[in-house]
Amino acid sequence: MDSNVCQVYEDEIHSLEEEIKLLAEKYEDSQQESTFFSDEEILMSIKSFQRELRGESEGYESPSDLKAHLETLETDLSFLMKFTGIQFTSHSKKTLEKTRNRTVRKHRLSGNCHSLSFQLEFQLLEMQSKANVSAVITDLSIIMEPGGDSDLSKFVSSAEERGSLLTFFRSLSSYAEWYEHRRCTFLHFKVIIQTVK
Amino acid sequence: VFAYLEMLELQAHEAAVKQEEKLLQEEKLARLKARVEELRLQRDELQAKVDLQEKRQLEKEGATSNPAQLNPQAVLQWKIKSLQAMLQVFYLTGIGGKLTRQGVCFCISTAYEGTYLDSYYLDLLTKSEVRIYRHSVPTFIPLKQIAKQYLQTDIRRFLSVLSDHLNAYVGRRYQADQLQEHFSDQIKGTLQRNSLCNLLVFNYNMSSKSKTFPFNVRLLYGDPCCSLPTEVIVSCKSDAPSSLTETATAHSDLFRRMPLHKAFRSFSSAGET
Repeated sequence: MDSNVCQVYEDEIHSLEEEIKLLAEKYEDSQQESTFFSDEEILMSIKSFQRELRGESEGYESPSDLKAHLETLETDLSFLMKFTGIQFTSHSKKTLEKTRNRTVRKHRLSGNCHSLSFQLEFQLLEMQSKANVSAVITDLSIIMEPGGDSDLSKFVSSAEERGSLLTFFRSLSSYAEWYEHRRCTFLHFKVIIQTVK
Repeated sequence: VFAYLEMLELQAHEAAVKQEEKLLQEEKLARLKARVEELRLQRDELQAKVDLQEKRQLEKEGATSNPAQLNPQAVLQWKIKSLQAMLQVFYLTGIGGKLTRQGVCFCISTAYEGTYLDSYYLDLLTKSEVRIYRHSVPTFIPLKQIAKQYLQTDIRRFLSVLSDHLNAYVGRRYQADQLQEHFSDQIKGTLQRNSLCNLLVFNYNMSSKSKTFPFNVRLLYGDPCCSLPTEVIVSCKSDAPSSLTETATAHSDLFRRMPLHKAFRSFSSAGET
C-alpha cells in the first residue's frame, strides 16, 4: 500500500516538472514575442556590455561570445537574403497554443523580392510525435504589391487556399525575376520610343 | 534450549530489519511529499508570472520595449533569438543554410501544399571550384547529373532544379502514403512502388449493383520534377459490366489531373454506383 502512495507522489512530481518546463517556455516565448529593440538599442547594448567586467556574466555566454554569435547569425542571414533574392523586412510571431506535443504560432512576415513586395500572415502548427516533428501551415494570407497581374492573383489565391507557403516562395523568385526583366524591357522600350520620336 | 534461543535471535533480527525498512520507507515518503510541495510552489509562482504577463499584454496591445528594465545582456540575447527565428523562417521558404569555414551548408526543405516533409542537406566547399562535400540526398535522385550541369555555373539554378526533383519525389511519396493511410479499405493487396515513387501499381475495388470489381491501376510518372503521372492505365476484368469500363476511363482521367488521394476522395464521396 505504501508503494502505491510512493507511485502517486512520483507521478505527480513528473507531471509537475513537465508543467513547470512548459510554463517557463511559455513565459520566455511571450517575453521574446512582446519585446522589440531597435538597431540603435542593440548597438548601445553591445557597447555597454563590452564595458562591463570581462568574464562576469550571469547567463551562459561571455560578452565576446554573445557578440560573435550575433555577428555569425547576421552574416548567415545577410548571405541567405542576398543568395535567394528574398529580403525579409519584418517578422513577428505570437504563440497561440503550447502543450507538450503541440505548438501553434501565428506569424506575420513582410519583405520583398526584386521589385515585388509581399505581406504574409499564417499559422504554423508544430506537432511532436515519437518519430519526428511535423509542421503544417494553415490560414495563409498573402498580399502582393504590385498585385494587378491576373496570373499572379490566381497563383496567390491558389496558394492561400492550400497553405502552399513553400510553393509560393519557390515560385516567387522566378516570377520576380521575370517581372523585373519585363519591367526593364518595358522601360527600355519606352526609352527607345522617346528617342525615335 | 539453544534452538529456542536461536529462534528468538532470528525473530529479533527480523523485527529489527522490518523496523529499519519501515523507517526508510517513511523517510522516502516524506522526501517525496516535500518535493511535491516544492514543485507545486514553483509551478504556482510561474503560473502567476505567466498570468500577469498575459494581463499586461491585453492592456497594452503592441510591442513594448523596456530598455531601462532589461540589462544589455538580455537585449543581445533577445536579438539573437529574433535572428534565429528569422533563419527558421528561411527554412519555410525552401532554402535555408549557414556559412561554414570551408563554404556553405544548404538545407532544402520539401512540402506538399501546407505540410512540410523531409529536408535535405548539402555541404558545399567553395574555396576553389564548388564541390559537394557531404549531402543527405537519396541515391535515386540524379544529384551528380544536376551538379554536372549547374553547380559550377549557377548555384542558385542548381539548388532550384534539385529542389524541383526532391519536392516532386516527396510529393509523389506523400500521395501514395495518404492513399494507404486513408483508403486502405478500398485498396486490395499491397500498393507496389519503387524507391523514386514514380511507378505505382495497385488494385482497388469499385462496386456496381452490390458486386465488387477490382480495378488495376498502373501510374507512371515520366517527369521526375512532376508529382502528377504522365501515363495512367486503369483496367478492369473482361467480365465487368460496361458501365464500369466507363468509370475506369473517368478514373483514369482523374488520376491524370489530380493528386492521387484527392482523386480517391472525389470518387469515394460521389458514392458507390
